Amino acid sequence: MSRFLFPKWSNLLLPTIIAAALTIPLYAVFFVAYGFSPKTLEVGYQPKQPVPFSHALHAGELGMDCRYCHTSVEKAAHASVPPTQTCMNCHTQIRPQSPKLEPVRESYETGLPVEWTRIHKLPDFAYFDHSAHVNRGIGCVSCHGRIDTMEVVYQKSPLSMGWCLECHRNPEINLRPTSEITNLGFDSATDLTAEDREALKKKYHISPSEDCSTCHR
Amino acid sequence: MIPLPPRWMIFTGILAACALAIPPVVIARVRATPDENRAVHIFFDMDFQPKFKSQAENPLFADGRAQRYAVAGTVAQGETMLDSHLYEGAVNGKWAETLPEGMSMTPEFLARGQQRYNIYCSVCHGYAGWGDGTVNKRAMELMSNSEGPVQGTSWVQAKSLHDPLVREHQLGMLYNIATNGIRNMAGYGAQIDLEDRWAIAAYVQALQLSQDASLQDVPPELRANLQTNSTQGEVK
Repeated sequence: MSRFLFPKWSNLLLPTIIAAALTIPLYAVFFVAYGFSPKTLEVGYQPKQPVPFSHALHAGELGMDCRYCHTSVEKAAHASVPPTQTCMNCHTQIRPQSPKLEPVRESYETGLPVEWTRIHKLPDFAYFDHSAHVNRGIGCVSCHGRIDTMEVVYQKSPLSMGWCLECHRNPEINLRPTSEITNLGFDSATDLTAEDREALKKKYHISPSEDCSTCHR
Repeated sequence: MIPLPPRWMIFTGILAACALAIPPVVIARVRATPDENRAVHIFFDMDFQPKFKSQAENPLFADGRAQRYAVAGTVAQGETMLDSHLYEGAVNGKWAETLPEGMSMTPEFLARGQQRYNIYCSVCHGYAGWGDGTVNKRAMELMSNSEGPVQGTSWVQAKSLHDPLVREHQLGMLYNIATNGIRNMAGYGAQIDLEDRWAIAAYVQALQLSQDASLQDVPPELRANLQTNSTQGEVK
């Protein structure tokens, strides 16, 4: 009966195992950081809506102001999705027989809401206030991107806490005059000088808080 | 030479190393493409709490709305709306010629009116009020389609605010039209705040003045300004 002998090549196992033990945790960290980041998971969410409403047409081509529909954005925490009446201001007369508008007409007749799918969601313990931002020089485009070029709206920003803090720690670059809040083509970084932005920071008394209780209650 | 392990083992090792490259590629692709489905929520923490946010859904009610309408027939405190000047734009059965109490015709008030007009009214009436807004233009295009109006479109050219008839409207009437609509125009009472509707009415009168003005109406010290602009082919 012969004894079991490790073959000679098994000497290679030890360095291989050490190399693997060093790289695999690194790989795992990279995998989680890159793969589970909100930039991967949350950005790009583009649900199919009950009505194929095109922001590219309404806000882009027709140049309608965001506030024509999202009326509460300057007054409340929540930027309201418009009631069906707002659609019907025009669509009683423009394309009233369009099949795409069927859910809108149905809502108009029954009084039941059109069931839009919400895209931008914050955790329930985070309290964001639209009015606090748009009235002090943060434009729609800073968070929502070029909505006026989107046929179907998708989520542009990760809405993660790190992303919020990035701006709270360095808000200047995103500041614009309140008159340009809904001007999605306006770029604070190129259309304003550093002095302009510094002046806006003074004018609007911008000193964003990083306290937990600012957003978490 | 170092003795090598069996070939199948080397092969498996290389394969495994290659497989490690797949997840990063998949992640990069996920990052670059939009997705119809929301990401799987891995850690719930307290992300979903048993409460209703604005415009959320509540299956307990027949209409599914978490936000409730006021019960029919009830009047909230301070909303009796008995002041007909403020709410209707009429005084003693006649259109008001002045702003209601508490509002005054200041440059700030008119600037606010201009801003609100540009948001809500210019889409049809145009920035200068000539009835040439973008929505009106598009609707007129749909009307002049060679095979007949598109999908039942029945648009009537938006009114020019410089129409002689419209010029005669009193401030209160302009306010009332902004609030309740007129002919084909829907009312904007729900979309625009009360004071803003008055500001818009005031701004519309300012627009009417501006588009029907002669050089004599411009303060002498500003006339030169206007003339230099017009030599550049642009009257402001």
